[in-house]
Parts: sequence; structure tokens; C-alpha cells
Amino acid sequence: MKIKYIPIFTDNVESQVKFFIDNLGFEVCDKKNLLTSRECVIMQTTSPDIFMLIAKDYGYGNRRCSIVVSTDDCLNDYHHLKLAGIQFYNEPQYTPTGLRAEFADPSGNRCLLIEERNYNDLT
Amino acid sequence: MEYLRTLRNNNVIYSGTRNNFNQQTTSDFSIRFVFSGNERYNIGKRQLSIHTDSFLILNKGTHYTSTVESAIPVQSFGISFDDKFLQDFKNGWQLKDDTLLNLNTYPFINRYEHEFDETIYPFKGDLFFNVNHLKHHVDRGLQDELLINEYLHHCLINYFQIFNEEIFQKAQRLNFLSKSTKIEILRRLNLAKEYLYSNYNTNISLDELAEYACLSVTHLLRTFRQAFHQTPHQFLVQIRLQRAKDLLKNTDYPVNEIVNMVGFDCPSSFIRLFKDRFQTTPLKYRQSF
Repeated sequence: MKIKYIPIFTDNVESQVKFFIDNLGFEVCDKKNLLTSRECVIMQTTSPDIFMLIAKDYGYGNRRCSIVVSTDDCLNDYHHLKLAGIQFYNEPQYTPTGLRAEFADPSGNRCLLIEERNYNDLT
Repeated sequence: MEYLRTLRNNNVIYSGTRNNFNQQTTSDFSIRFVFSGNERYNIGKRQLSIHTDSFLILNKGTHYTSTVESAIPVQSFGISFDDKFLQDFKNGWQLKDDTLLNLNTYPFINRYEHEFDETIYPFKGDLFFNVNHLKHHVDRGLQDELLINEYLHHCLINYFQIFNEEIFQKAQRLNFLSKSTKIEILRRLNLAKEYLYSNYNTNISLDELAEYACLSVTHLLRTFRQAFHQTPHQFLVQIRLQRAKDLLKNTDYPVNEIVNMVGFDCPSSFIRLFKDRFQTTPLKYRQSF
């Protein structure tokens, strides 16, 4: 078993797709009815085996979720996303696992940008 | 990669490969690294040698001579911070909420920073990652000064974190009532530490180490252990093993030669110590690359 699709529910599919293309480098690769007969936009992420499913949220409940985006250079991506007008909840913060910064996508999903750092390799 | 980038706010980034170089100059507050080989700095009577696992702080106006005495070309990297940038950073960073929670820490830094900072520190943690990212971008000709300054800002955050760990937290461990005694002892212990960092590959006697640190041998041993939770000899072995690891990874020198280069007398004890510390043998470690 492996995770292949991560669903994202949004009021505005078009702007959500554009957000992922412009800011996270994802690509639209298909459209299918994978979730309860509604059409989803399938987006290829930067990982070859993981896809995002962007589906219309019809207001059946709170569908907001958190997305963790891995990066190899958090400060660089933070800087470029900020220049693109993305609002961050905070400045990059150091944690025992690495450097992280959190922002919201157009649908209000929390996206965590994280650069995992292996400090043990340095000793 | 050879360049000297002066940013619009007068921060300077230097990168260069040196073979045998001697220079005397004064500088702004700056941080010096090497990414291969080692570089020796003479500051007054002190001789400080930096390797890939350590970095050196130089205060504004310090006169120094730097010499490269390395079998392999030395790749130097340095950052000089403009006074205003540095002051803005200190003002902004030290007034942050999370920093204010640690109020006890920072008056110490403000007051004693200049007594301590001009020495060798371990190149580790987030500073290691951020400096490597910065170097990667500037090597490739990054022009975006906002981004470069973002990295520089974070390098300062990381440096002060290391300063806090290496100076303040170590001073707290010393068993003296008087704060000024703690400060003075730690200043001398740091001299001992920089001597070990810089002469790790020679036979260092406790007497000469104590003399350099202006402490008696007994006093040195007792306070060194209090502050750093290890003896000077254990600290020296740790440096030698780290540098042997670096040589195994980045050069083709035979293991026996590396044993001598880093100051061990006997290959078998080196292999044992290496295995104890890194859970692998030197040969297996080299083969993993």
C-alpha cells in the first residue's frame, strides 16, 4: 500500500489549481471522477508517485486540511513565495527537525513548508 | 570560484581558492569559513587555525594575517557584516517575543560579546545549512540582494545561537558564585579550546595547554570538565576524529597517513576510537561515498 492521491476541497477549483502551478510547480495531468462522482483535477506534484486531487467543496462540512510541502531550501522558497504575494503565518522558524514556515492557500488550507535537516550527520 | 561581492548595504561576501596566501588587513565584523583544507589566522600572539568543522569570528578593526599551509587548495569563504546591518539585526532580533522570554541570556551577550566572540566556534547546526545554501546561490551568480540578505540575517541568528550555547550556557555550568569569576575562567578555557582546535595534530602537553590558557593544570582540568563535560584530552580526540573523518571523505590519503596527519600515534587505537564514535570503521566509512 502507498499513498497516491491527496484530496483538496476548495470553493474555487480554478484558483486553487493556478496557485499550485504558479507557486509549488505542480502540473495538471488529468481530470477524473475519483471522489464520489464529482470531477477532480489531478495534479502531478514534484514527487512522481504523489498526486493532488482538486475537487469542488459543496459545503458539506469543514474540509480544510494541512499540506506538508518538503523543500531543500526553505529560505529560498519562503522568499520567492512571499514575493509572489503569499501570506505566511510566521517567519521561518527553527525546530529540532529543520526549518519551517507556514502559509495559507486560496482555500484556507494550511501549507507547511519544511526543510528537514539531518543535524546528526554533522557530528 | 573566486569573487568578492559587495552588496548595496555594504555587506560583503568573499569566496576564493587559495594555495599559499598571506594577507594583512582589518575588517568589519566577519565570519570566516573554509570548505576545504585549513587556514591559519594570526591575531596578535594568537595563532588560530580553522578547518571545515569550525569557523572564526573577527571583530571590526582587528589586525590579522592569514596564511594557508595546506596540502590541498584551500577554499575560503567569508561574510563581513556592515555595522548598520549588524546593529539593526541586534535591535530587531533581541526584542522579539521569544527572545524576551530568555531575558537572562541576552544581557550577558550584550555585555560580554566583545570579550568572547573573536575565537573559533564549531561550524554546526543551522549555520552550516544556511551558509551552504548561501554559498551555493552566490557561487551561481544570484543577483537578488533581498534573498542574500535574508540568508545573512539568518546566519546572524544562527551565530548568536551558537554563541549562546558555547559561551553563556557553558559559563553557567562553572561552580563559582561570582559572575565575573565565571566569565574570566570561561575566557581562559576558550583559549585552551582554540589552542586544541589549532594544534590538534601535534603532541600537546597539559603544561603547555595550561600555560596558554593562563591557568594551573589542576584548575584547567577541573574547570574544563565543568564547562564542557569532558576533559581536554577527550575534546582533543573528538577534534582529531572529526578531522580524520573529513580527510577520509574528501581525500585519497591512506588511512595510516591520515592517522599521522591528525595526530594519532597508533592506527589500531585510531580505528577503535573511530568505531566507538561513529559506529563504523574508517575504511567502511570511506567506502560509503
